[in-house]
Amino acid sequence: MFKFQDFDGKLLALRAEMTAPVARIVTTRMQSAPEPIRLFYVNNVFRYSQSYLKREREFCQAGVELVGCNTSEADGEILALLISSLKQVGLQEVRIDLGHASLLKDLLNAAGLDEQQKVSVQALLACRDSVGLKKFMEQNDFPSNLRDAFLQLSRCRRLDEVSSISLNGSKYDKANKQLESLMELQETLADYELEDLVFFDFSLTKKIEYYTGIVFEASVPNLGLPLGSGGRYDNFIEKFGKLRLPATGFALEIGKLLQALTAQGFEIPKSSKTKVIVASKFRNTAVAAVKILRESGVIASLEVTRRSLEKTMEYGKLTEADYVVSIGSSLKSPVTVFDVKSNVSRNVMFETFLGEVGGQA
Amino acid sequence: MNKKIRIAIPNKGRLKKPAIEALGRAGIEILEEERTYVSKTSDPRFEAIFARANDIPVYVHYGAVDLGITGHDLILERGADVLELLDLEFGKCTLVVAVPEDSTINFVGEVPALARVATGFPNITRKYFEKTGKQVEVLEVSGTAELAPKLGLAQIIVDITSTGETLRQNKLRIIGSILESTSRLACNKIAYRTFEKQITELLARMRGGSEKE
Repeated sequence: MFKFQDFDGKLLALRAEMTAPVARIVTTRMQSAPEPIRLFYVNNVFRYSQSYLKREREFCQAGVELVGCNTSEADGEILALLISSLKQVGLQEVRIDLGHASLLKDLLNAAGLDEQQKVSVQALLACRDSVGLKKFMEQNDFPSNLRDAFLQLSRCRRLDEVSSISLNGSKYDKANKQLESLMELQETLADYELEDLVFFDFSLTKKIEYYTGIVFEASVPNLGLPLGSGGRYDNFIEKFGKLRLPATGFALEIGKLLQALTAQGFEIPKSSKTKVIVASKFRNTAVAAVKILRESGVIASLEVTRRSLEKTMEYGKLTEADYVVSIGSSLKSPVTVFDVKSNVSRNVMFETFLGEVGGQA
Repeated sequence: MNKKIRIAIPNKGRLKKPAIEALGRAGIEILEEERTYVSKTSDPRFEAIFARANDIPVYVHYGAVDLGITGHDLILERGADVLELLDLEFGKCTLVVAVPEDSTINFVGEVPALARVATGFPNITRKYFEKTGKQVEVLEVSGTAELAPKLGLAQIIVDITSTGETLRQNKLRIIGSILESTSRLACNKIAYRTFEKQITELLARMRGGSEKE
């Protein structure tokens, strides 16, 4: 985080992410808002990143939060929205990989590990080092059913494969509950017909102190970094006020989406609106013409420089305008329309031209 | 998807030959070695990229290549967030702290405050001395750190050693070791998901059945 001091000595920081500001708004200004609350943002955040490609510190993020509800329907809605958002911007082969923070925490607790050992297991999982994980579990005397559960979960890829896993013994009650909640989510996703795009990934162990339920990442094969991530965080909002509100959401990095789109050969379509430059020695007529054109949905600009029509044509070419229109003293008399691309000019009534570019007089 | 799986191999240095051999044993023969940056392999699903061992962790992190063979020390130094799927066990070396033989410093605890340390591993070195609570000035050099004491640039160096021969030749004495390293098969996290089947198959072949899943 970037931190610095205000003139009066107070500590200031640039926001590094948007969930905390959202939590602050929810607890201070939306206390009486009916729940659930659905919020979105598109905003810049500031981070020191060790990128070797670009030395950027400012990133644009687009995200959503669903506050006040902890059902699998809420998680399902967020995942469905994530997938449709990515498809909507034009990305192909989108996939979500999803783990469960509390499931992992409950299993680590059931194993009776100290903090250092927990960190070791998380590192082995994050590195997908199943050989190392096996060794660690043997050395630390994991009960055999817990050992199997860890290995099975590391191998699971589809959410429905998780259903075959269940642990006997009351100390596994919590973990079993989390497994059941994953099954419920799987059924919700099936209703959205998204079960083939969402995968289980036990190796997602980042920030499990912060998340309390599912954690997920979105990716496409053409880009080596996740496009965005999210999860359920039921204990976070209460830190900003007395309200204990469960919440779930995601954030996408706009820069990564653009990189992924470029990698997939996507071309950003140009604006289909007509661009017209109006030139006239008679200012009142020109101003009126620009106003009418704009009201008709045309991108119109006034030639404000008093230069020659030739120069205006050159400018039109460079700025990719469609037409340059030269107007006399009245809109009732014919105007000269220069087609910038074909370099052809003709005299027509202003109304006729307006009709051609899709407007009405 | 018909995309080939790109695997980066060091283009020179001590890791190059054993890396090519390790892949060869797993059924991936390099077909157009030397001078080409991109080479076909005997397995049509894989394509080899020759790159500096130093840069491979970053290439893998960003997914410019899907897999890469490089040192564990280099992965840590570049701070690359990659999967280290396999310890290939060759290229064994230790990252050590060394001083000239006639130095009065005998162990790391005796390093004076604000001492200048020359190294090709500035990030690991900075973290190491921060952990030991020593404030030092890290001087980044590429390659021959062992030269720095001779030129009066630094009293201390941090560099890798495998046999200790280079250090002895340059009249340097080890006063501490920071980490042990071997070469690893590194994998991009997204690529692992995309190519999981092919990659686990390759892993099994590289393990040669010695360590079963």
